[in-house]
Amino acid sequence: MRFARLASCVCALAVMLPSLGGIVASAQGTPSASAAELKDAAGKAPASTTLAAGDPGGTATGSITDVPVSDAKTGLSLGDVANQVGQNKIGINFTWTLVCGFLVMFMQAGFAMVEAGLCRVKNANHTYMMNFFVYGCGLFAYWIIGFAIQMGGAAGNGNLGGLAPLSGEHTLSLFGHTWGVFGQTGMFLAGHSYDVGVMVIFLFQMVFMDTALTIVTGACAERWKFLTFAVSSIIMGAITYPLFANWAWGGGWLAQLGTNLGLGKGYADFAGSGVVHAVGGVTALAVALIVGPRIGKFNRDGSSNAILGHDMSAVLIGCFILAFGWFGFNPGSTLGASGAGCLRIGSVAVNTMLAGCTGTFGALCFMWVLKGKPDASMAGNGLLAGLVAITAPSGFVSPVSSGIIGLIAGVLVCLSVSFVENRLKVDDPVGAISVHGACGIWGVISVGLFADGTSNYGGSWNGVSGSVTGLFYGDATQLVAQLVGVSTLIGFVFTFSFLLNWVLDIFMGQRVSAETELAGLDLPEMGQLGYPEFVFVPEPVHLSATPHMAVA
Amino acid sequence: MAATKSQGKAFTVFVAGVTVGAAGLAAVSTGLGKVGLVVGLALTAVSLAVFLKIKPEEGDVPKISMSAGLKLLGLVLAISGWLIVIAGLNLSTSVSGRMAATIVGMVVTLAGIIGVLPFAANKNAIWKA
Repeated sequence: MRFARLASCVCALAVMLPSLGGIVASAQGTPSASAAELKDAAGKAPASTTLAAGDPGGTATGSITDVPVSDAKTGLSLGDVANQVGQNKIGINFTWTLVCGFLVMFMQAGFAMVEAGLCRVKNANHTYMMNFFVYGCGLFAYWIIGFAIQMGGAAGNGNLGGLAPLSGEHTLSLFGHTWGVFGQTGMFLAGHSYDVGVMVIFLFQMVFMDTALTIVTGACAERWKFLTFAVSSIIMGAITYPLFANWAWGGGWLAQLGTNLGLGKGYADFAGSGVVHAVGGVTALAVALIVGPRIGKFNRDGSSNAILGHDMSAVLIGCFILAFGWFGFNPGSTLGASGAGCLRIGSVAVNTMLAGCTGTFGALCFMWVLKGKPDASMAGNGLLAGLVAITAPSGFVSPVSSGIIGLIAGVLVCLSVSFVENRLKVDDPVGAISVHGACGIWGVISVGLFADGTSNYGGSWNGVSGSVTGLFYGDATQLVAQLVGVSTLIGFVFTFSFLLNWVLDIFMGQRVSAETELAGLDLPEMGQLGYPEFVFVPEPVHLSATPHMAVA
Repeated sequence: MAATKSQGKAFTVFVAGVTVGAAGLAAVSTGLGKVGLVVGLALTAVSLAVFLKIKPEEGDVPKISMSAGLKLLGLVLAISGWLIVIAGLNLSTSVSGRMAATIVGMVVTLAGIIGVLPFAANKNAIWKA
C-alpha cells in the first residue's frame, strides 16, 4: 500500500515537473530529475536583467528561481519543487474558496434589496437594518460558538490542507453505531484552530450560515421587534443552524447514514438547499406563526389582501445580485479548484445558471397563464426558487436534470406562496417560506432522484466509495437518506426553532405594538425614515386601522 | 414602545453574557473558565429578566395568543414524526421498510406543522375579531 502511494507520488511529480521549465528529461514517464538538472534549469532561467527590461508577453515571469529553497547551501532540491507543487494546489483551493465566500457575502446586499423592496416604504429602513445587522449577529454568534458546533469535528478535507485542528466531534452510540452529534473545537478560533486552513473554512461557512439567518427577516418583515430579531438571530447562528449543518456537513449523523446504515452515500447536500435554505425557510415559518400576520393582511372572512412592496426595481436588481452570488455558493462548495474532482466547478456553475433560468420561466409562465400578467415579484421568486432547488444537487446532476429541477421549483414556489397565504393564513411578505423552505426541501429530494453517479470528488462521498446516485439512476437508498434529512428539517429544526422563539416571545415579545406597526417601523424602531423626503401616499382603509381597532 | 434605551442596555448585557459564557465554555477545564461560564450565564439570566421587565413598555400588540395546549400538540406531533423516522431506520433493514417509516413520520410531522399549529395560530386571530 505504502509502495503504491509512493509510486503514485513519483509519477505525479514526473507529470508536473516538465511544466516547471522542462527540467526533467522524462523518457516514457520515468522520472529522472537530479540535482544537476535542477541546477541546469536554474541556470537557464531568465536573468534579473532580462526581467528588468519588462515582460509584456508574460513568458519570463515565473520560473524555477521563484521556487523557495529550503537549504541555501545545497540549493534547489526535488523536495523543494514537490513542496511548491503541493502548496500551489492548496493555494489555488484557498483562493477559490475565499473568492467564492466573498461572492456569497455580497448576497446579503441582494437579500436586503429584495426584502426591503417588497415591503412598504414606511418600513424600508427597518427591513434594510435587519438585513444589515443580521450579518453582525450571525458572525458574532458563529465566531464564539457556532463554528465549533458545526465544524469542530470536520477534519479530513484534503482540498484545504486537511483541517487537522478540527478533530473534536462529540459522538453518541445508538442502535449499535456511533453517530456524530456536534463539534467541540474552534470556539473563538482560538488555540489550535488558529490555522490557515481553518480560517478559510470559517469564512466560507460563516457566509453560508448568514444566508440562512437573513431568510427569517423576510418572512417576519414589517412587524418584527428589532430587539427580538437580534436575539433570535444570535441564537440561530449559535445553535440552530450549526447543529443541523454539523449533522450534514461536519461529520454528523446525517452524513453517516451511508457508512452506518448503507443508505446511499449518506445525506447529500452539495451546497445547502437543506442546510442553508430549508433551515432558514422552516425557521421562518416557525417565527412567522408566532409573530402573526400584519394588520390588514387578512379580512374577517379569511380572504387576504395584497400588500404591495414599494420598489420593484430594488427587488429585481436584488435578485440579480443573488444570482451572481450563487456562483460563489454552489461552485465554491467544491472547496477547491484543484484535485479531488474539483474541475467539476464548470458543470456546477452551469447547472446553477440553468436552474435559475428555468425557475424564472416556470414562475413567470405559471403566473401569466393563471393571472394574465407576467408578475415581476413572482418571476424574481421563480429565479430564486430555481437557484435554491439546484443548490443541493448542483454537484451531482446533469444540465438537463438541472433544467427540470429549476422548472419544477419555479412552479412549486407559486403554488406554495398561495398555499401558505390562503390555506395556512401565514403572512410572509416576501415569500421566503416558499422560496427557501419549500424549494429547499424540493432540492434535497431531487438529489435522491436525479443524481447521475458521474461526479467523483476524490472517489467517495461522506466516506462511502463511489458517486452519489439517485433513484432514476438506480439507487433508491439515496432517496431514503434524503428523506431522512427532510424529516429532520421539518421535524427537528422546525420544532427547535419554534420552541426557542416561543420562549423569546414569553420573555421579550416578538411583535411591535399596533401603533408602531401602523405608523411604520422606521421612526419608532430605528429613529429615522428610510426615505425622509418621500411623500407617503395614504394607504387603503383595511391597512390604516387605528391602533385601537387593530388590537380589539 | 418601540426601541428604547432600556432595550439597548438589556441587549448589551445579553451580548456580554453570551460572550463571557462562551469564553468560559471554551476554557471550562480551567478554573477561570468555570468562573467565566457562571458569570456569563448569570449575565444572560439578568438580561432575560430585564427583557421580561420592559416587555410591557411595548404597548398593545396586535396579536391574540395561541392556545398553549394546541401549540404543544402541534410541536409534539412534529417531533414525534421525526422520532418515527429515526426509529424506523433501525427497526427495519429493507429499503422499502425504511422508506415507508420515513414517509409515515413525515406525514405525522406535517400534520403538526401545517395542520395543528396554523389552526392554533388562526383560532383567535386578530383578523377574525
